[in-house]
Amino acid sequence: MTIPIAEVNVEAVSIFGVIVAITLVITYWASKRTQDATTFWAAGRGITGAQNGFAIAGDYMSAASFLGIAGLIFLFGFDGFLYSVGFLVAFLVVLFLLAERMRNSGKFTMADVLSFRLNERPARTAAALGTLTVVAFYLIAQMVGAGALINALVGIDFSLAVIATGAFMLVYVIFGGMLATTWVQIIKAVLLMTATIVLSLFVLGKIGWNPIDLFNRAEAQSDDGHAYLEPGLRFDNPIDTISLGLGLVLGTAGLPHILMRFFTVPDAKAARTSVVWAVGLIGAFYVMTTFLGFGARAILGEAGATGGVDEAGNLAAPLLAQEVGGGDGTVGGDAFLAIIAAVAFATILAVVAGLVISASGAVAHDVWSNVIRKGRDSEHEEVYVARIAAGVIGAIAIVIAVIGGSDLNVSYMVGLAFAVAASANFPALLLALTWKRFNTTGAVTGVLCGVISSVGLVLLGPDVRSDPLINLSQPGIISIPLGFLGCILGTLLSKPEGKAEHQFEELHVRSETGIGAERPLEGAGLAQRPRRPQRPQRKVPAGTGATPIR
Amino acid sequence: MATPGTVTGPAHHAEIDWESAARSPEFHELERKRRSFVIPATIFFVCWYFGFIILAGYAPDFMGESIYEGFTVGYLIALSQFVMVWVLAGLYLRRANRVFDPLAKRVAERTPGAQQYLGGGPGNGTPATRPTGPRDGRAGDERHSGEVTS
Repeated sequence: MTIPIAEVNVEAVSIFGVIVAITLVITYWASKRTQDATTFWAAGRGITGAQNGFAIAGDYMSAASFLGIAGLIFLFGFDGFLYSVGFLVAFLVVLFLLAERMRNSGKFTMADVLSFRLNERPARTAAALGTLTVVAFYLIAQMVGAGALINALVGIDFSLAVIATGAFMLVYVIFGGMLATTWVQIIKAVLLMTATIVLSLFVLGKIGWNPIDLFNRAEAQSDDGHAYLEPGLRFDNPIDTISLGLGLVLGTAGLPHILMRFFTVPDAKAARTSVVWAVGLIGAFYVMTTFLGFGARAILGEAGATGGVDEAGNLAAPLLAQEVGGGDGTVGGDAFLAIIAAVAFATILAVVAGLVISASGAVAHDVWSNVIRKGRDSEHEEVYVARIAAGVIGAIAIVIAVIGGSDLNVSYMVGLAFAVAASANFPALLLALTWKRFNTTGAVTGVLCGVISSVGLVLLGPDVRSDPLINLSQPGIISIPLGFLGCILGTLLSKPEGKAEHQFEELHVRSETGIGAERPLEGAGLAQRPRRPQRPQRKVPAGTGATPIR
Repeated sequence: MATPGTVTGPAHHAEIDWESAARSPEFHELERKRRSFVIPATIFFVCWYFGFIILAGYAPDFMGESIYEGFTVGYLIALSQFVMVWVLAGLYLRRANRVFDPLAKRVAERTPGAQQYLGGGPGNGTPATRPTGPRDGRAGDERHSGEVTS
């Protein structure tokens, strides 16, 4: 890493310290309230739509999107922006097909929806496999990224940075459960949006408030000339471009840590509202990646500072902040760099906490309580096992990241996580909710097909092998159809399942109307805002109009 | 709360007449109205988005053409995707609040055993003003014990 910081950046560490202190206070507050399973997994279902919208944004916008996309645009111009578009369009799939249905039919995990009408143990095991595979790739990529970034930005040793990140993540999840995780994500979303808006304004100010001129200045600074503003620098194979688009758009709807957020709101209406909030925030953020990415190319290029950006481009945004703040060595430049570094750290913490709590759900709620103990354990035991599982998962991720070190190639891992989510989780979930004939065999074969084909294609592809057997770096275009095919063939080639078809009606009506949906805990909403007086809700029947008199 | 059986999946509700709900005209209307929004909207966004991706893959020169002083066709189409997402999400929200929710509420009103789910949220069902036939409309805390889990 060639950023010009030799020793530990005291300013950045101080800002980290403030953020961490605030989140620890929240965790302490949350831990007092987290006694039962519904609070641990779903924050008592008392999170409001707007709060959940911020939390989804905080859960979703990883360091890969903040620093990674700015870097990809910096390096590849237009092709980098393809990621921004795909990450946002994905939420239409979530909004139209899954958000409300998940809230209405689920309880704590994705597997709850599958096992509602399928055979409990195989369906849960398959869903847990899908969840854990996605989380494994995503989490390791985030941890290695966290270590490398903090090392480069703040000067702390890589291993220490990974361990610190992992330790805070585990404190949030183990003691504060979903309640603490949610508020860490909300705070992160606010910090990230604020930092991005400020940085974008600085960039615009620097280039004379003419956003169109940004493209010309960026083009002038690129070795690729006009090709920098055209597609094709990152992906020379058009099939890869299409495959990436498919993977991003369908993958989001299969990410366990995003789907889990819909169980934290009181009802389907709040779930829907939260997606619309998230779409507003995430969309605004990704539009601004233009200013970060093209701005870094233009402004760092003009300052002759592009050599300081690493190969992956991750340091483009922080270096841009330093440059527009006044440059290396100035008070403003160093302060801005420190702020961006601290925001990146908060960004990573919020995402890894969300990942770990969803993985601990798969282990404790799905595998332990319902596969091993067959639903006979107590809530107390489930939460206890969840805390142990979170600790073990976090420890494994820390160890892999420390042993792999900053040289571990994680660039393909987030893309792979999306591909697995799109190929294994999304088809099974969608078909369980909408196809009456769908059965357990179909779910199991579908998840297996999706996991094996997406992981297999990446292992055989150019990101892992120097002599790729398949010249496709994005597996989605093959693995997603295989996931659906696995579900459909598995179902049609096995016997119809009476229970699955019989209970489809209940799941169908429930997912569409919310009849029978899990309720929020009494007072869970108040637990979020203790001082807010409960308003009488008398206007509800009148406000909905046209209530038929029977 | 340390009772066994509380850690299973979502509770099944045998007390609700699912068949009657599924056959009710209100439920059919809800499904029809939802489909009549979601299917065209999905076709539209899939075409618009994959049209963009396919152009990016196969027509880089066209995408790189300048419309105004270096502002390219590709970037304009990319920005239009953001506008599309915001508009479709907003339209869906409005349609769901105005059309889908009242229909879902009517299904709950008509379905034996489902009255406690009117309006979805806690306390919104105003059970005190709405006698609900033979079923106890306020099963309340008992519901969570999950007695009908399979």
